[in-house]
Amino acid sequence: MAGVWIIAENREQTLELLNIACELAADIGTRVAAFLSQDHERVQDYIDCGADEVLVLPPLASDQSIDAYIPIIAEEAKTGDPDLMLLPATMRGKEMAARIAARLDTGLCSCCTALTYDEGSKSPVMERLAHGGAAVQKVTCTTRPAMATIPPRTFEPATPKEDRHGQIRELPAPPPSEVKVLEKKMKERVAKDITEARIIVCAGRGIEKNEDLAFIRQLADALGGEVACTRPIAEEYHWLPEELCIGLSGAQVKPDLYLGIGVSGQVQHLTGIRNAKVIAAVNKDENAPIFRAADFGIVGDLYDVVPKLIAELKK
Amino acid sequence: MPNIIACFKWVVDEAYIRRTASGELDFSSVDYKIGEYDRNAIEEAVRLKDNLGGSAIALTVGVPEATKGVKDALSRGCDQSCFITDTTYRDLEPSQTAAILAEVIRSRIQNYDLIICGEGSSDLYAQQVGPRLAEKLGIPCISFVQKVSLEEGKLTVERRVEEGIEIIAAPLPALVTVLPDINVPRIPGVKDTLMASRKPMIMIKKDDLAPIGESHLRTASLTAARMERTCERFGTDAAEITRFAESLRKKGVVG
Repeated sequence: MAGVWIIAENREQTLELLNIACELAADIGTRVAAFLSQDHERVQDYIDCGADEVLVLPPLASDQSIDAYIPIIAEEAKTGDPDLMLLPATMRGKEMAARIAARLDTGLCSCCTALTYDEGSKSPVMERLAHGGAAVQKVTCTTRPAMATIPPRTFEPATPKEDRHGQIRELPAPPPSEVKVLEKKMKERVAKDITEARIIVCAGRGIEKNEDLAFIRQLADALGGEVACTRPIAEEYHWLPEELCIGLSGAQVKPDLYLGIGVSGQVQHLTGIRNAKVIAAVNKDENAPIFRAADFGIVGDLYDVVPKLIAELKK
Repeated sequence: MPNIIACFKWVVDEAYIRRTASGELDFSSVDYKIGEYDRNAIEEAVRLKDNLGGSAIALTVGVPEATKGVKDALSRGCDQSCFITDTTYRDLEPSQTAAILAEVIRSRIQNYDLIICGEGSSDLYAQQVGPRLAEKLGIPCISFVQKVSLEEGKLTVERRVEEGIEIIAAPLPALVTVLPDINVPRIPGVKDTLMASRKPMIMIKKDDLAPIGESHLRTASLTAARMERTCERFGTDAAEITRFAESLRKKGVVG
């Protein structure tokens, strides 16, 4: 049966994966199938946005998590023999993908940021970062299916086309899970979503005490931007919430302007800002790695520079 | 009392990776370390053992030089180690590492309650070995865990997902991957290092195990990530601050 299969948790992720899946399916000369696990009225929506087939998963029990579908999806893939399976590189998506890959005994490209189809080798070429973001690794998969997880917002969402038809197939219900979800605590958004911010002022370890974050906030206000931080500020000092933390294991941002204040620029952090349009930094250490990754850098004490900057920006 | 296995990887310390003038990666002066995230796995295993009794075993697969990592793991409080080594184990991919670990756990360790892995290795950060290992062993897997509690035959954890937290229960044995903020790994002192050398270390050779499968992924290239930036520098006097702000305005990123 073959095809490019996508397995996502919600509509936003599905549409994004449909976009890249359709592109690759056209190159491979195959079709696109999307799994749908909730909101079953979305079947036609997914078909309009590029799915040739929608595989409908029955609802989960209240104590089950989406990973309960793993055996169903893996069985389906064993008989359906897809060329490529794509999942979002979310926390659940990454675990599911690795477990499905183990069951299918195949390769998985984690956090894949670019995907092309190589006509010569007849296989997808998948790109990802390694060594904390210092290196770009390109991989191909020698077994079927090739699998990849894709960080959310890597691609644009697919848009609906008119007059599209597709097949719908109902899949069996998942077996009961040994792992039980006892409780779900949804996060109250304590902070704005920094992945959406156009201007980010990032607080780094150069800031000496919690109270000093106040003028980082003033600077952000002067710029009309949001405050974010490096890992130590959130994790060691707990001055700012976890979701404001930028980096390899935090948020990957793509603002128009990133301004790092007292940020040294460890490679893991730089990985989170590499898609910023302009990177600027203030740091007193002229050898800080941030300056090699920045368009504009002020070498100076942040306690001297930041007030001057605020005054200048208010002009 | 629980027997806990902490898995870790001995990795290149990325701080020592240089870029040559032509933009190639230069690994010639690198040093190695226990992966950052794996230190949290070791710490959590040791803390659980310290609180509940039982034992903590450090488990790793790697090239012979990784023996330094084994000693480091023991000085971080593990009671014993199990090191599977061969000179060909330099570029194993997650499926192969998981297969080796699974075979060793099944055949040599057997009696275990919990396996703890870091959320990912700090070199390749594929984040696959943990979940793949759980599948190979046919045990429950819970990833991205920020809190672990163990009671008679049962595991309860807080698992982080994008929308919040899930409280999850699973029977033992089980595998968890832990987040970096679950604990602050200890820094071993001289005494810890001395004690480590007296702890039991099991070494397993490639020939003692079934042959591992071929790798599924082929690395077509590994190149330095490019950050092409203008790297313009500014001073701190009034004129320079104005020039800096002007530069931002010219780029159209500031109103």
